[in-house]
Amino acid sequence: MSIFSCREVRELAPELALGLLGGTERAEAIMHVDECARCQALVLELTETADALPLLAPELEPPAGFEHRVLSQIHSRRRWNRRRFVPTMAAVAAVAAVAILSVTAVHVVEANNSSSTVPRSAAARAPVAVEMRDTVAGVSAGWAYVTGGHSVAVTVDYGVSSGRYHVQLTRADGGAQSLGTMTVNGNRGSWTGRSARTITRGSTLALVDAAGRAVCHGTVTTGA
Amino acid sequence: MWSVSDDALVAGLAAGDEDAASAFVQRFQRRVYGLARTIVVDDRAAEDVAQEAFVRAWRHADAFDHRRGSVVGWLLTITRNLAIDAVRIRRPLAFDPAVLVGLDQPSGEREPHELVQLGVDTERLRAALAQLPEEQCRAIVLSGLLGYTAREVGEAEHIPLGTAKTRIRAALIRLRAALVSEETTE
Repeated sequence: MSIFSCREVRELAPELALGLLGGTERAEAIMHVDECARCQALVLELTETADALPLLAPELEPPAGFEHRVLSQIHSRRRWNRRRFVPTMAAVAAVAAVAILSVTAVHVVEANNSSSTVPRSAAARAPVAVEMRDTVAGVSAGWAYVTGGHSVAVTVDYGVSSGRYHVQLTRADGGAQSLGTMTVNGNRGSWTGRSARTITRGSTLALVDAAGRAVCHGTVTTGA
Repeated sequence: MWSVSDDALVAGLAAGDEDAASAFVQRFQRRVYGLARTIVVDDRAAEDVAQEAFVRAWRHADAFDHRRGSVVGWLLTITRNLAIDAVRIRRPLAFDPAVLVGLDQPSGEREPHELVQLGVDTERLRAALAQLPEEQCRAIVLSGLLGYTAREVGEAEHIPLGTAKTRIRAALIRLRAALVSEETTE
């Protein structure tokens, strides 16, 4: 439930549409708009107008060779993504294989009513990828990787404003803690650190700004 | 390829079609570079921003949803956000915002495919802007086009923060009202 009334949101709607609101005001206004159809319609109308304003910039011919340079970048990044895809898929396959072995081992151990070692540790060391999505727009902002249930690496490269953010872990039981501080510059930033508590499936990682607003987040959906 | 719709070009971009990527860049490069150059002022930085905008568009092309807006609006929003992030320190404006958007000049003729629809086209928007009081026009161009925060508008215009916010709010509401009124009388 937002602390803002319709009257207050209507007053803030132009700034919200222009992307000028920050912190708590923005979060509270969006919360209200999500729940109020009339305010939502107003903000959408104003956003349509605000989004048209960049069209007023004069068109300019880019420097010679611009198109070629853009296409070369796309081409090279596409090749890089393909290279990265292969080891990623290999890692996923390895995790799956280890998981299957672990489950099989558990069944065997349980069937034999034995307490001998279960090969869980290898699976626990494989990194689990968590997509970090922009809290408002829902687009991908980057990735987090959880290894061994404790090591965390976060990297963002899209849609996150420059500034300092807390890397916040919210565990499946609702407990939340800041794991550290990450700096984002020009949409890009990365952070590595550890969580004292084990990060399990259902835990959420988020980048939280100074106003306490989660700008992007991702939930661990596989075993970590 | 030039007769292909913007949406189809984005679909081709998402599918990895090199011809579509080339046509996409050719179609929008003047707009993207123009917006980047307008915001960051520096030629080299503008080219970097414009290049990155196209790469981002390629990376996220498969997530583009035409129901949420036009291709050019989406691409220019990406460009604007990148350009604003690239500008760490605002330089004093060396031009009048009203002149920047061509309110003092005839609109010129545009090809039909250039009259881009975002719910409004640029000429109607320009006409609606021209109807605003000058100080509101400056405020909305600074914030809506150049990405100034209300505080930066206040500093650039030498007015209190509250006055800057009032001008921005009033300008956007009047712009919207003018455009809606025009739609209903057509």
